[in-house]
Amino acid sequence: MKKTVDVSIPLGPMHPCWKEPVRLKCETAGERVLHTEVELGYMKKGIERIMRGRPWQEVMFLAERVCGICSVVHNMVFIEAMELISDIAVPPRAAYLRVVANELDRVASHILANFSYCYTIEHETLAMYLLNTRERVLDNLERLTGSRINTAYMIPGGVRFDLLPEDAATMLADLAKVEEELKRYVQIFESGPLIGLRSRGIGYMSREDAIRAHTVGPTARASGVEDCDLRLRHPTYRALGFEQVTRTEGDNFARVMLRFQEVFQSIDLIRKCVDTLPAGHIRGGGLCRAGEVSYSGEAPRGELTYTIKTDDFGRVLDIAIRTPSIMNIEACAHYMVVNATSIADVTSTFISSDPCIACNER
Amino acid sequence: MSILQSIKNAVRSRSIHVSYIDVGSCNGCDIEVLACLAPRYDIEQYGIYVHNNPREADVLLVIGSVTPQWEDKLRNIWEKIPAPKAAIAIGNCPISGCVYARKGSLTTPPVKNYIPIAAEVPGCPPRPTEILSAILSVAPLIFKDYEEKQS
Repeated sequence: MKKTVDVSIPLGPMHPCWKEPVRLKCETAGERVLHTEVELGYMKKGIERIMRGRPWQEVMFLAERVCGICSVVHNMVFIEAMELISDIAVPPRAAYLRVVANELDRVASHILANFSYCYTIEHETLAMYLLNTRERVLDNLERLTGSRINTAYMIPGGVRFDLLPEDAATMLADLAKVEEELKRYVQIFESGPLIGLRSRGIGYMSREDAIRAHTVGPTARASGVEDCDLRLRHPTYRALGFEQVTRTEGDNFARVMLRFQEVFQSIDLIRKCVDTLPAGHIRGGGLCRAGEVSYSGEAPRGELTYTIKTDDFGRVLDIAIRTPSIMNIEACAHYMVVNATSIADVTSTFISSDPCIACNER
Repeated sequence: MSILQSIKNAVRSRSIHVSYIDVGSCNGCDIEVLACLAPRYDIEQYGIYVHNNPREADVLLVIGSVTPQWEDKLRNIWEKIPAPKAAIAIGNCPISGCVYARKGSLTTPPVKNYIPIAAEVPGCPPRPTEILSAILSVAPLIFKDYEEKQS
């Protein structure tokens, strides 16, 4: 059958809605989107090439600069992979503090993703509310780790800084405020009629498509894929009684709402961690050794895998990073935006899958 | 100074349109630029508007060490901005390349090899307040008496 294409519309690489450069090429018939292609490569820095042959002390800082939004989880997965290679045990207090830092980062990342979505559908009031709430979360991350974005908080055998009792009290008070504010914003988002028109039923992806496209993270969970959260397999999260959040609608609304639900869940996890924080050291000893391992953790956008090979001195001989967004972006281009009724929905659908281009291309 | 020039000076000091461009960073600086929009820092109370459209921008915030894809596009975007204009480098990446300026890297920092840079804000990433104060201190200096300096 001959394909009739009226116009091929390029979106990007510089686009008011997008934080990072990426180009989407949409083939349209009238307003209807027939086919979309993603063009990547604007951010390729060759970070894995830089990492090869360097000691873990340097690779650790490079690893968290793969992505600025979810830097804590890159740090965490790399360090836990190194610990797995070298048989280094983590003190229980440090393991709990890692969860606190990781969940604070996840809350900030999810709120930023929802800010981007609200900004894209031009609900600027809600977007600004969310961005202001995010600042409160970043304050707590800074108080715990000493930095807002690139924290370098975790090291093999523990964490760098302890959570002081007065900081813990401030954190719990702040998180209570964040929860209270977010409840209001979720209610605004859920009940807004115009938000519903732009979100409900737009960018639908069925469960079968989500599995076929290998989507991960909130994008997969919003389409009803069960057992796709790697926190279910992490020992500390298991001790905290973590349960996966799943929604079945599979549209933009479900993806944004799922992130809101995960924020509330993360706040509960942090509260549980701080309340039951074990006493003791935050830093054990250890020596990084030779070995090879493939280790995955749950980033805010989904499954993140580090495949590392080290030598006797702890130098990284070979490394491969698989980041979550690449699958989600492909799924977005091939399943979500196809047959979108308007070109305006393409940007909002793309943003709803929370693309992180810096992660993708490294 | 002519009356027209003084009016232009007064207007330009409270109306700075900003466009930001990521030429290969870890996007930590991008989200710190975005954080400037938050009501806590409130970039718009100083008359700074973020559009991300180079054709109506006065100030270009450049983030990141330059990747091969951006080498010619960066110059193109700089040419599209109408004069008077200023470029501000945000973060360590456009200044020195930060962690990416190593053996094996694909990037070619610094950005000032490609476009003229008026100010540099070091930090990995810099705080939103630092970005804000850099824009506020540089933009009026460059835009003040622009027409009279030209003639």
